[in-house]
Amino acid sequence: MIRRRTDLPLSRDPSVRLVPWIIGLMTYLACLMLAGSLLLSELLGQWSSGLSGTVTVQVLPREREPARLLNERVDKLVRILERTDGIAGAKAIPLEEIAVLLEPWLGGAVALDALPLPRLIDVRLDMIDPPPMEELKTMLSNADPGALLDDHGIWQDQLADLVGALELVAGFVVLLVGLATVGIVIFATRSGMAAHQDVVEVLHLIGAEDAYIARQFQNLALTQGLHGGIIGIAFGAVTIWGLGYAADHIDSAILPQVQLLAWHWVVLASLPAATALIARSTARRTVMRSLKRMV
Amino acid sequence: MRYGTGPEVLREVTFTLKPGSFHFLTGRSGAGKSSLLKLMYLAHRPSRGLVTLFDEDIATLPRKRLPFLRRRVGVVFQEFRLLNHLSAFDNVALPLRVAGVKESTIRKHVDELLAWTGLGDHMDARPPTLSGGQQQRVAIARSLISRPDLLLADEPTGNVDDALGVRLLYLFEELNRMGTTVVIATHSENLVSRFKKPILHLEDGVLIHHDRVEAGGGTGDPRDSRKPFGRGKRQ
Repeated sequence: MIRRRTDLPLSRDPSVRLVPWIIGLMTYLACLMLAGSLLLSELLGQWSSGLSGTVTVQVLPREREPARLLNERVDKLVRILERTDGIAGAKAIPLEEIAVLLEPWLGGAVALDALPLPRLIDVRLDMIDPPPMEELKTMLSNADPGALLDDHGIWQDQLADLVGALELVAGFVVLLVGLATVGIVIFATRSGMAAHQDVVEVLHLIGAEDAYIARQFQNLALTQGLHGGIIGIAFGAVTIWGLGYAADHIDSAILPQVQLLAWHWVVLASLPAATALIARSTARRTVMRSLKRMV
Repeated sequence: MRYGTGPEVLREVTFTLKPGSFHFLTGRSGAGKSSLLKLMYLAHRPSRGLVTLFDEDIATLPRKRLPFLRRRVGVVFQEFRLLNHLSAFDNVALPLRVAGVKESTIRKHVDELLAWTGLGDHMDARPPTLSGGQQQRVAIARSLISRPDLLLADEPTGNVDDALGVRLLYLFEELNRMGTTVVIATHSENLVSRFKKPILHLEDGVLIHHDRVEAGGGTGDPRDSRKPFGRGKRQ
């Protein structure tokens, strides 16, 4: 590695060893927050695409309506739906499947025929040319006033709100981590300037421009930011891999199957470069500001 | 000139230095010699009055142009102010490096100058390993490497014995003969009397005596464009 010649002995300062580790810790936290945020986005995308391909039609039973008539209404709606443009398929969910869905709440020994349960029709939409939801709702209620269309919109909106809030929190934490990194670099740079005030003054008096002096500090900050960023991203990658490994060995029915994509890793891998550039720019601004107080 | 809101440390100081002149700056400790030199090497700006350096009014000159003016002024500081972590070579090379001179040119000029000052065998030595006299010569070499138009030395003989002090003065005289304007602040009456040069004498911040200044060629006009340095009341 080529070592740059410097006029200031900054590499001997006690803070030089500590700062990369603190920046590394900050980068580690930022890495986890960013990875969490990207995973949530991916999860929401998966859920949305999975659900938006289907809608459910509920057929409410009328008072004291015999099961035979209710079945006829359901069959009629299925036929109508199958003829409708933009519908890839419609299938009435058998009562036995509904019973399985309700078993956790009602138990297995209940006579479902005796209960006024709504019947469900699972409708698969043509994703290339789906029908407008409002028109579908109108068509269904015209065909049968007891038919209700559930496009899962409310559930999706609530999920999106939750994920959005979590992303906001993650973004806020990344911002705080970034500000903390800036604070550390400002503190380290000011300490360096104070410790080497004599040398800075000599450089200034023999005709060094502010940018020349600032370059010495910003080059160090760039190196420290890069080292810290690499430390943070390395530990972050190990943590993410560990969490993924642990998740793979838990019952997959409980946890959603989601993992970081290639472009997510590219975003995370860019963190050291971002940290280095932030550190460099902060050090430069700090020095330039301080030097402006000199004649 | 004053520091912050403190009392004026320099007032009613009016003089002009002609290019190629040689002056001693004398006065007791606290008389304002170092403050006057600081004005001249642009470590401070005047709080009032007019100071021109190479035809530039330093009170109004934009800050970003000051480094270029400083490069025309060589300074030998009282305590040398060498950078202890750099070698003698790198200390001397510093003014050229900040000016962006090519490394090959720096090597040639610094080698020559260090050899001329008798430090050719100590190029890689760090200042703390050098004697007081050797450090002095490194400091002088650093002040001369960029061939300044004006050389300012603050008590350059303060830390060396009389014999070495006299030798250093001969060195400054030689530089002066080569065209550099020289101002040396000193306490040493011995040197002042030995080297018959014009004197700027300060007492309590007032320039009360400028014996033989005119003999150095000054006209007394602070706006004289030929002069490297002028100080006087703003018109």
